[in-house]
Amino acid sequence: MSEFYVTIIHRPEMVPEYIQREAQEGKQEDLARSEVIRESLDIFRTQQQVAHDNGLRTTIQMTYASLFNAEVIAIAKEHHDRYGDEIGSTFLGLQCQQFRDKFKSKELAIWLFSMEDKRRIVDEVLGKFYEVFGFYPTSTGSYYMDAELVNYIKSKYPMIKAAVATCWEEGPKAYRNANNSWYTIFDGGPWNPWIPSKRNIHCPASDEADDIGIVAIPHLSRDLMAVFDGPGSYYGTHPQNILRGMVYEGREIPYFKNIVDQYRSMATYNRGYSYNMMYVGPGWMSKQGRWEADYAFLLKSYQDGMAHYGQLKKKGKAQDVTLSEFADIYRQSRPYTRPECTLWKDILYGSRRQQFWYADPWMRFCLDMNQGGAMIDLRPYAARLVRPCGVGTRHLQDASYPFLVQSLYRVGYFTHYAGEGAVKSCKFSYAGEEIDLCTCRTLASYSEEGDTRIVTLDPVNIEFARVTISVQSVFRLTEGTGEIEIVRSIIGTTDPAAEITIDEYITACYGTTEYPEDLTGITLTLQGAAERESIEYAYQCREAQVPDIIVAEAIVPQVETRLTMRTDSDHATGYFREGFAFSPMYTIGLKQTIQGKGELRTWLKVEKAS
Amino acid sequence: MAQGRKGKLNYRCPWCLAREIDMDMLYDRDKDEYYCLRCSFTGNEPEVLRLNAQFRAKYRDRMRRITDF
Repeated sequence: MSEFYVTIIHRPEMVPEYIQREAQEGKQEDLARSEVIRESLDIFRTQQQVAHDNGLRTTIQMTYASLFNAEVIAIAKEHHDRYGDEIGSTFLGLQCQQFRDKFKSKELAIWLFSMEDKRRIVDEVLGKFYEVFGFYPTSTGSYYMDAELVNYIKSKYPMIKAAVATCWEEGPKAYRNANNSWYTIFDGGPWNPWIPSKRNIHCPASDEADDIGIVAIPHLSRDLMAVFDGPGSYYGTHPQNILRGMVYEGREIPYFKNIVDQYRSMATYNRGYSYNMMYVGPGWMSKQGRWEADYAFLLKSYQDGMAHYGQLKKKGKAQDVTLSEFADIYRQSRPYTRPECTLWKDILYGSRRQQFWYADPWMRFCLDMNQGGAMIDLRPYAARLVRPCGVGTRHLQDASYPFLVQSLYRVGYFTHYAGEGAVKSCKFSYAGEEIDLCTCRTLASYSEEGDTRIVTLDPVNIEFARVTISVQSVFRLTEGTGEIEIVRSIIGTTDPAAEITIDEYITACYGTTEYPEDLTGITLTLQGAAERESIEYAYQCREAQVPDIIVAEAIVPQVETRLTMRTDSDHATGYFREGFAFSPMYTIGLKQTIQGKGELRTWLKVEKAS
Repeated sequence: MAQGRKGKLNYRCPWCLAREIDMDMLYDRDKDEYYCLRCSFTGNEPEVLRLNAQFRAKYRDRMRRITDF
């Protein structure tokens, strides 16, 4: 693959929530309100025309409601024949009078139904689709498709090969952004297409046996820096999302093109391949205006966005593909172990900040160059947690994949009061002074050696009272190992006799939200050449260290994860630190004292604890 | 007091927006003023627009076309 692929998806939603809400103000609910259906249909038609005018084919994802509308069905068939658009299905837009009569429910989110209802709805939606078109769709989607739902779909409708399966980092932040009313709580997935695991949709499959059978697409291509710290619905390849985030001046939105072009640049990190998707529901282009923007601006933003893709296609820099076509292309040359990674640059706030994102079947993590390459997010995909969601399940609305480190939800580098925060970093100490690399802002570059991806940080100076050292960090990621190799090198010093201690550590916890979880039962273990220390977490502030460390380990049974650190040094010391209730964290680390120049090389690994 | 209604556009509360909460305001025709049901913001349209412009200021690259990656 050496292309930038673009998928444009439109869904004819008959009763879009925003338009329905506006039309309904001061009136009783009426799902068959003709002015809403008419407006929605007009918007769908407009969206299709804007795409076609720019020479772009689309994927029309038929909603359940639209399967009862002869006009939409006729448009879909005509556009399939005339433009080569794909006719797919979606589990968004379920609500309509027919659905209400059949299922007696106002639930709008497929992933939140009980498993029994999910099966019934899948059969009804896809059965109705077959009745209308005479074939089954090969692509589907929703804001979220849990593994249990997709496994069922694949068991009965094996022709389905692609699905819009999650919204990247749409979790507690999106919930809060909507005044705690938007139940799309599913942080922790990949930001670009992936082949999901049968056990958990967020995790890339490890091999054929683990392959769920579809290519999953995140809903929208999102700003990996802004969305990690802000609402997902502000910063992505959705022009009206950008209006919602107010990232414009006058009526111009260069930011949209900047996101697209940064995604194009991901080819550098992913063997020549990059991807974008745009998926705007008709509710976002309401004739009444939305997000402080009148209809003319909503429309212009859509036209401008589509024109950018159209121009790229005309220049031979983009290839428009339908969802199912993309699934075929993706599978052609995608080994299961190949990671997705990118060195994302700030395109919004005017800083030079960079973050490196990485996802493979073992883990997802993010390094923040603003914090000296500190790891600020870590998800243990290797655990392949089975976490069903929906009514009747333990987690119900919380469909996020748990983290071990999420520095925004759980403090990160500590700047406030007392305690510790979740982050992986390194400290340097000398004569009673200690400096954390989290305070050493830098930049990074990316390179490859065969199957090893390398992130090399620009050196930083650490100034102690009597000596200054120059430190460089290098992260090496060898495909298929599930390990991160981290090299911290002292490459310069003002005093070659000074003894500097390098302390590579990870302070972690687990969870899916900002609120702490019970850490009781986690075990912290140090295995040295001659000594061993181990405790079971009980909030007692215990600490231990062991010389000639072989491995430092934390086992977190709550998320079935084994987290280890090892080194190739014969004389490093390992340590752990238990937390307390006001600082619910655990730390494992490796230390080595070096005179003059030298390095500490360590490996961090996440595995399934079983 | 007049019944609150949606205004001509769905202006969000600028104070809630500043903490990234989307909260549509209601409009009081008698007072020509928007008000928030969550926090205590009240203000007319020019005041809302002024605060929205202030919100956008954090996006220092909002008008910059970036092509070098």
